[in-house]
Amino acid sequence: MAGVQVGKRIIGATAPVTVGWENIPKVEGGPIKQFVFTYFQPAMLFAAILFWYYAPNWLAVASTAIAIRLGWTVLLLALEWVNPRHKSWQLTWKEGISDAFYVGLGMTFIGMADAYIGDGAIIGAVQGAFDWKKFDWFTGLPLLLQALLISMIFDFGQYWMHRAMHNWHPLWLTHAPHHYITQLNVQKGAVGNPVELFLIGLGIGGLFDFLPRAFLLAGAIGMTVGVYQHINVRFNVPRWWRFLFNTTEHHSVHHSRDYEGTRSNYSGTWIIWDRMFGTCVDGEAELLGMEEGRRMHIGETMVYPFREGWRDSKAWLAKKFGARAAAPQAQLEPAE
Amino acid sequence: MSEAAGPWGAAVQSATPARGLRIPYVDMIWRVRGEVPVDQTLTPEEAFARLDPLLRTPGTTLGVEGNALVYAKHNPAAQDQMATFTRGRLWIERAGAGAVLRFDLFSHALLLCFLAPLLFLGFAQLAVTINAYEAAAAKAEGASQKDKKKDEDKPKPVKKLNPIDEFLGAPAPEDPNKKKDKKDEDEGRHSPEPGYFLAGLFALLYLLGRWLEPWLARRRFRAALAEPVVPATS
Repeated sequence: MAGVQVGKRIIGATAPVTVGWENIPKVEGGPIKQFVFTYFQPAMLFAAILFWYYAPNWLAVASTAIAIRLGWTVLLLALEWVNPRHKSWQLTWKEGISDAFYVGLGMTFIGMADAYIGDGAIIGAVQGAFDWKKFDWFTGLPLLLQALLISMIFDFGQYWMHRAMHNWHPLWLTHAPHHYITQLNVQKGAVGNPVELFLIGLGIGGLFDFLPRAFLLAGAIGMTVGVYQHINVRFNVPRWWRFLFNTTEHHSVHHSRDYEGTRSNYSGTWIIWDRMFGTCVDGEAELLGMEEGRRMHIGETMVYPFREGWRDSKAWLAKKFGARAAAPQAQLEPAE
Repeated sequence: MSEAAGPWGAAVQSATPARGLRIPYVDMIWRVRGEVPVDQTLTPEEAFARLDPLLRTPGTTLGVEGNALVYAKHNPAAQDQMATFTRGRLWIERAGAGAVLRFDLFSHALLLCFLAPLLFLGFAQLAVTINAYEAAAAKAEGASQKDKKKDEDKPKPVKKLNPIDEFLGAPAPEDPNKKKDKKDEDEGRHSPEPGYFLAGLFALLYLLGRWLEPWLARRRFRAALAEPVVPATS
């Protein structure tokens, strides 16, 4: 496979990746379908912004956001059904319940743990340590600007955390299970080891004591932009949108079986961070996963970082102190 | 599947496996049994040859047990059409003038989905327990709480909207000093509601899967049996 040069790197040398927007297929079908799948994403973004901007206070609360999120997920699953990007990514009942399990884990167990060791605890500690009145200038900014800043700052933190996960082995061990997904569907963002989900959830955006409405607006941007990174829907993405925002096309390259492809498109919502730091690849891939597409089941996903971490530590110690020759070699990808 | 097809040349007897639990109907949670008609012009070898592409997928081992074809899947691919049924036994029986393919399938996924509500009810219960424990601990620290209450009694600053937002008509933020009464009835740090919701969701997903997956398996068997085998060229 020859691959395509993007910047200083060759993308698609080890597995197929389509590089360049001009090479990506368009939505097929009649004029109504074309219209819907061209304007759906911007229309939903603006609708969400308008809703959270004007919703009365009694409605602008977290429980409304959760209810909307639920309905939104059902709608996106229906879109996957109507206009799949790839037939080979179609959601099956088994994949669906597996995804729902990870989502459920995030809503219950990981959420509870976060309150003590995650961002809940960190935000509490940091907010208690500073005089946050000094940041009143922030909450005095126009709501949309606050929301944009919150969204961008949070995503900036995620970008570097994600990039670190691909470059530092201990962090990679927590993130690797997520890269064993072999297809993209709306809920696949939740698939992964709980340690990773906890780490990726850490963000500095939560530290500001901003107006709740600005926070809900920022959440709405995430919900109507970031959500598409793991979706099996073919859209005609507007040019401005794909310049600014992460898309399922970008994220499929990140999940491709091509090693260089996976080292690109790290951001969650704002692809401009990747453009800025030289890691953006505009394109798409269908063949996803690791180890020739070996699917990682839930049990292995739960133990993988610890099992591999243990093996690697033993190998490292054996190498360092030259002890038992029988110590197993470090294995980044288990050969099963 | 030529190595597997041999034993079906002769008439077939009923070959119901009797493994697993003996409690009546309990195994219906994870086990699916049924039959699909087989074209009577087909020999058993031909019928199994037609099923071969459906079953011979990566991670699947095929074998013969008596008159039946048995398969087992180790972590099948997401798009494996039989991925839900990790083990299975298939055999052909004469039925009147024709014949039927009988199947007896086992599903880890159905069993785990059936059990998942228990896990999420457990998380809900954990939330309730932690809340109760923390409430008790807070009570024990009565004195320090009083200090906190003093802090809370101080009026909080009322946040104001930016003039641009006022002009555009965004609702003004509420006065944080006004709505205290409700929140003081402390519900605790964790809510058990997501756990209850997910338990219900998984119960529904189980019912959906228990109906959908056998229906799909039957449809796939029927489609595979209707598809003539294309001889491999080159």
